[in-house]
Amino acid sequence: MLAGRDTFTVTEGSVTYDGRDLLALSPEERSWAGVFLGFQYPVEIPGVSNVNFMKAAVNEQRRQRGLEPLSAGAFLKLMREKMAYVEMDSSFSGRGVNVGFSGGEKKRNEIFQMAMLEPRLAILDETDSGLDVDALRIVATGVNQLKRPDNAFIVITHYQRLLDYIVPDVIHVLYKGRIIKTAGKELALEIEQKGYDWLIQESE
Amino acid sequence: MEVQLITNPEGRLQMALEAGASAEYLVLQDGTGAAARECEVAYAISLAEGASLKMVFLSLGGTVLRNRLRVSLQGRHAACDLAGICLADGRQEMDYDVLLTHEVPQCASTQLFKNIVGGHGVTRFHGLIKVVPDAQQTEAYQANHNLLASDTAKAYTQPQLEIYADDVKCSHGATIGRLNPDELFYMRSRGIPQAEARLLQQLAFSYEVLEKISSPELREKMQALVEQRLRELA
Repeated sequence: MLAGRDTFTVTEGSVTYDGRDLLALSPEERSWAGVFLGFQYPVEIPGVSNVNFMKAAVNEQRRQRGLEPLSAGAFLKLMREKMAYVEMDSSFSGRGVNVGFSGGEKKRNEIFQMAMLEPRLAILDETDSGLDVDALRIVATGVNQLKRPDNAFIVITHYQRLLDYIVPDVIHVLYKGRIIKTAGKELALEIEQKGYDWLIQESE
Repeated sequence: MEVQLITNPEGRLQMALEAGASAEYLVLQDGTGAAARECEVAYAISLAEGASLKMVFLSLGGTVLRNRLRVSLQGRHAACDLAGICLADGRQEMDYDVLLTHEVPQCASTQLFKNIVGGHGVTRFHGLIKVVPDAQQTEAYQANHNLLASDTAKAYTQPQLEIYADDVKCSHGATIGRLNPDELFYMRSRGIPQAEARLLQQLAFSYEVLEKISSPELREKMQALVEQRLRELA
């Protein structure tokens, strides 16, 4: 819904992002405004290579900011640099977007795309689901390298495990669609030890 | 091998490949010349022993284009590879009618015809692979895939096999579909505008045919023409 998929209808409430009504924007406009959604199940696009996909995306973002498109050389250099963040082999750039990628490779590709687009707000939806420890570490390292004072990450997870690698500034506990608890990073450890029940009781 | 370019042909074209000959043709119908008016082209093609033919057809513009292909594989180990793209919109009609006959054993043929139809455009594909009783160890494949880009576009497809031999590998397949909405959304969520995302998908759809063109220069040129045409396609 935050990314603008038309299969969802908002029946009530509002989403304000940077003073703008996010829900009034098309998916591409949200991206231009700096919103990035890391998909839980990234889509395969046969026939569209990773490099062409990213070139179209990056140059459109630049156009929206009044910048010239990158030259082929500069683009490839940027791509190589960002692929290194997630330890992605350069052979992936010529392959169809996510086609034949393993679960871990797809998630790494999400982080790679995020690195290319440099969003101001990234929402990573259960990026840790289905990842082995190595892939998890790579994904987390990528996220940590992209963290800056002027951007934010919302990392949605069920597990403490990811938070060993990505240390959050703030933790929100969501229950039945509402935030029932907000605290610092120590909350994650507390939940790991005591579970969620006490939070639910506290909220009710 | 040099790729021979045939632009906006009309009438009857006869091609007889002698034993061991090989040729590659690229046929372009771009809506100018003969293709500017109602246009029918009949190809009579025969291949002798060991001959090999590749033909790529690009029907990118015109009013009514009818392409009638009659291909006869007459000598053992002849190989024929046919591929084509139609991009039709407005009130355009583009037809491909292919009869490919395996007259002798041990020949191979492939057909890949793809159509993208928008506006009130119509495409028709009628393809028949015929394998005569003696033509054992034939390998013949035929595919026709159609992408509808508007609610009023029409694509008709009629893939057929007539096989009288019993030791053959033959298959045919046809699909009619729309652009995948999940793919579109994924691209838009990365900031690619809807029109551009559709174009990328349509180019990807066309690529399978374009990549058959052996000459890199011609392939690039044709890809640019297809892209230009797709940008206009409503």
